Amino acid sequence: MTRSEFISHAALVIIFVLAGLAIFPFYWMFVTATTSDANMFAASPQLVPSLSQLGIFAQIFEEGAVKTWLANSFIIAAGTTVLTLALAIPLGYAFARFPFWGKAGVGIGLLVTQMLPEAVLVVPLFSIFSPLGLLNSYAGLILANTAFTLPVITWILKNAFDTVPVEIEEAAVLDGCTGINALVRVVLPVIMPSVAASAVIAFFHGWNEYVFALTFITNDTLKPASVGLAGFIGEISTPIQSVMAVGVVYTLPAVALYLLMQRFIVSGMAAGSVKG
Amino acid sequence: MASVILNGVRKTFGAVNVIPGIDLEIESGEFVALVGPSGCGKSTLLRMIAGLEEVSGGEVWIEGRKVNDVSPKDRNIAMVFQSYALYPQMTVAENMSFNLRLAKKPKAEIRERVAEAARMLDLEALLDRKPGQLSGGQRQRVAMGRAIVRSPKVFLFDEPLSNLDAKLRVAMRAEIKQLHQKVKTTSVYVTHDQIEAMTLADRLVVLNKGHVEQQGSPLDLYNRPANLFVAGFIGSPAMNFLEARAARGDGHLRAQLADGNALELDPALGVADGQEIIIGLRPELINNDAGEAVCGEVIMIEPMGAQTLVYFSYGGKTVTAIVDGEHRVAVGETFRSGIERRRIHVFDRASGMRRDPE
Amino acid sequence: MSSHSHGTQLARIHGSRWLPYMLVLPGVVYLLVFQGIPLLQEMRLSVSNTSLLNPSRFNFIGVANFSRLLRDPNFFNSIQVTAIYVAGCVIGTIGLGLFAALLMDREFTGRSFVRSLIIIPWAAPPVAIALVFRWMLNGQYGIVNRGLEPLGLMPAEGLWLDNPSLALITVLAITIWQLFPFTAVVILASLQSVPKELKEAAQIDGAGLWAQFHAVTWPVIRPTVALLALLMTIWSIRRFELIWLLTQGGPVGSTNTLVIDLYRRGFIINKLGEAAAVGMVGMAVSVLVTIAYFAVANRATRAEKMR
Ligand SMILES: Nc1ncnc2c1ncn2[C@@H]1O[C@H](COP(=O)(O)OP(=O)(O)O)[C@@H](O)[C@H]1O
Ligand SMILES: [Mg+2]
Repeated sequence: MTRSEFISHAALVIIFVLAGLAIFPFYWMFVTATTSDANMFAASPQLVPSLSQLGIFAQIFEEGAVKTWLANSFIIAAGTTVLTLALAIPLGYAFARFPFWGKAGVGIGLLVTQMLPEAVLVVPLFSIFSPLGLLNSYAGLILANTAFTLPVITWILKNAFDTVPVEIEEAAVLDGCTGINALVRVVLPVIMPSVAASAVIAFFHGWNEYVFALTFITNDTLKPASVGLAGFIGEISTPIQSVMAVGVVYTLPAVALYLLMQRFIVSGMAAGSVKG
Repeated sequence: MASVILNGVRKTFGAVNVIPGIDLEIESGEFVALVGPSGCGKSTLLRMIAGLEEVSGGEVWIEGRKVNDVSPKDRNIAMVFQSYALYPQMTVAENMSFNLRLAKKPKAEIRERVAEAARMLDLEALLDRKPGQLSGGQRQRVAMGRAIVRSPKVFLFDEPLSNLDAKLRVAMRAEIKQLHQKVKTTSVYVTHDQIEAMTLADRLVVLNKGHVEQQGSPLDLYNRPANLFVAGFIGSPAMNFLEARAARGDGHLRAQLADGNALELDPALGVADGQEIIIGLRPELINNDAGEAVCGEVIMIEPMGAQTLVYFSYGGKTVTAIVDGEHRVAVGETFRSGIERRRIHVFDRASGMRRDPE
Repeated sequence: MSSHSHGTQLARIHGSRWLPYMLVLPGVVYLLVFQGIPLLQEMRLSVSNTSLLNPSRFNFIGVANFSRLLRDPNFFNSIQVTAIYVAGCVIGTIGLGLFAALLMDREFTGRSFVRSLIIIPWAAPPVAIALVFRWMLNGQYGIVNRGLEPLGLMPAEGLWLDNPSLALITVLAITIWQLFPFTAVVILASLQSVPKELKEAAQIDGAGLWAQFHAVTWPVIRPTVALLALLMTIWSIRRFELIWLLTQGGPVGSTNTLVIDLYRRGFIINKLGEAAAVGMVGMAVSVLVTIAYFAVANRATRAEKMR
């Protein structure tokens, strides 16, 4: 074996080891969920999932809470997605296409807001939402989440709009598109991949979000899965198999959708974040 | 009736006066080429006709209607862009029918008109493809198809062939010409390529720095360029320019050249004794043994097959001539040829304007 | 051609000069209401001694919160923890990401599969990650200790996240594990724009792997890596959920970053004023880092143009 052959074999081994490390915790979550009580604390740990225990995933849904958590997460995430896109598409389009008074200021604002930790705004948002009755509501969480997704998604979409030649829009105008029609019928379809990637990013911001949900929601029926699942941390009365099974069910949609959209998301994130 | 009229049309971008004022009338069914160097304002002018740019002053009339305040879609024009500007997510058929669909035309009519345009442009096999799956020439044809389908009153073309390679450009040029002969729609065609303009257009409008240098038929401009700019712009290879001083005496008019040579000119020319002038000689016309003698030492030759370009020194400059490919010439020899006296162009050096017999 | 007049023109042919404002207004108003006003309120809080127990009572105390912070060893501890955490994240994610990207920047069977596997940690929710890592690092039954015990590598009493001398490094490792996929994939994308001919030319010139990297690859990916460094810095300063769920800032403050400290002061000790003051410090650091980044980046592009 020559030196360069050796290097490329070693590289392959390392890359597969890295990939293994990357997915091991998820694998382990699954293995734990399907380990029987007897094997859980046995002298040598069970290293592969046992298919006979798959019933655990049905079991966790029998209890109402898990279903409610996931449904709540879904509603919050979907709401965040819709609101974010509704605001970010016009904003990103305007940024890509038009001059307007205050453009530089708004640009700096969008940049600075990407630096604000959520934790900093928990208290003031709490005090704004409280008199408006937005605590303990989906709306409150959706509004708070969108404040944090909007800047990033705006930049991602602005960069996408920048790639669409102005002539296409002019052709659409000559073809008879008026006002916002050219955006909707011609430009948006062209950047659909970026819009879809933005939707996924916004959705999972809402799906994953924890601090606001923890602080704003005290009503159990409104808790999303992030808060519900976090409640298991340090708690010992629930069997670890059930906890991990809920973890799997909560993680799976996020990972699956990311994988579907990965090509667009990564380039979009890199281009969209913190770039003037 | 004039189809398009520009009446003192001006355009400024901020403080920059791109088009100081243009008057132009384009007849119904005419094919007019706006030609000029890059940056001279051709696209701006075209886009003002389309309504994609607002005029800073003056009036634009299309088909007897003042359209200054008419939106682009209501001007009854179609435009073919340099980049084609096809909608990437739509099929060829959808691209071509977009305007008709927006105008809510009956489905049957749309289908028929798309089919007809596709037949005319040989696009029938491609109707279900997306622009991304087409070659450059095919995209170009779709862009024209999109324009034709609307049966507009005026076609506007902005350098539609400049993204194609040389061979395809010549082929598409012929197609555009045939198309115009078929549909006879008024066409305004912008290009910086004078050959394209000459071969396509009924009338050329030569633009320079936002104003019209000269307009006329291709041969008019070739034979009687009004000034040095047009003379240098039209024709390829470009006209040779030689500085000279006019000398009158005993009924003769001579151009005294820098290297001591002299050329006999038509004495009827409106040129005074001692006037500083520029002599213009077209390379392809320095081939006449009978005319005024033009000779000098050969500096370089470029054989091209049927013809050979000969570079020789004359009148203090390097002069280009085109001779038959059979003609043997060698570097260092003396090149002997001549040009008919009536083919010699004379310009006033100070104003750059053409001098004609009075 | 200035895009300025072009844009105005587009707005006009779209029918209205007010179009841009109609497009921008909803988003701008939204951000003002849900980011601007809260931020101003937070600034106001930072000069008050408002308590969580009575959040509506405002009592101006000037810079007292800030001067108290300056005398508070906890605060300096959390500055130090933040600095270590941020530096560790930036170096770790970019180092490992660059390494992985270079390894993946070649044709091999299963490449897109491996790339998909590697991206998974970045896609997963922090709550799930904290949950599974706490289980894997469980002192008695965690798979990590069960694997390390036979090798004699288990830390004292099997404690990781509850061990003051190991907690920060463990949290860092988990963070890097979650984020390196992102840096790897972004760097990989920019590696793909390194011209092949250049690499081949360098090979013909006899350049070894390192020389090739230094002369050909690095100049192309440097701007991307710099941007990632900025992103990682800002994201690390902001990071709350993962750390909070893993350690809540403990044990004995060993993972108490500024953002964790701010949350503790606000919601555990109920001192909203002090919490806000800590938040201001965190923001200021982020903004300064960003300004420094753009200053350096601008100078770099200008130097590039001069050449
Ligand atoms: N939107 C614009 N803003 C400012 N200047 C412009 C704009 N469009 C064109 N120009 C300027 O106007 C001049 C003419 O441009 P154009 O009409 O595109 O030239 P051509 O098509 O003949 O190459 C150029 O100098 C160009 O820089
Ligand atoms: Mg042009």
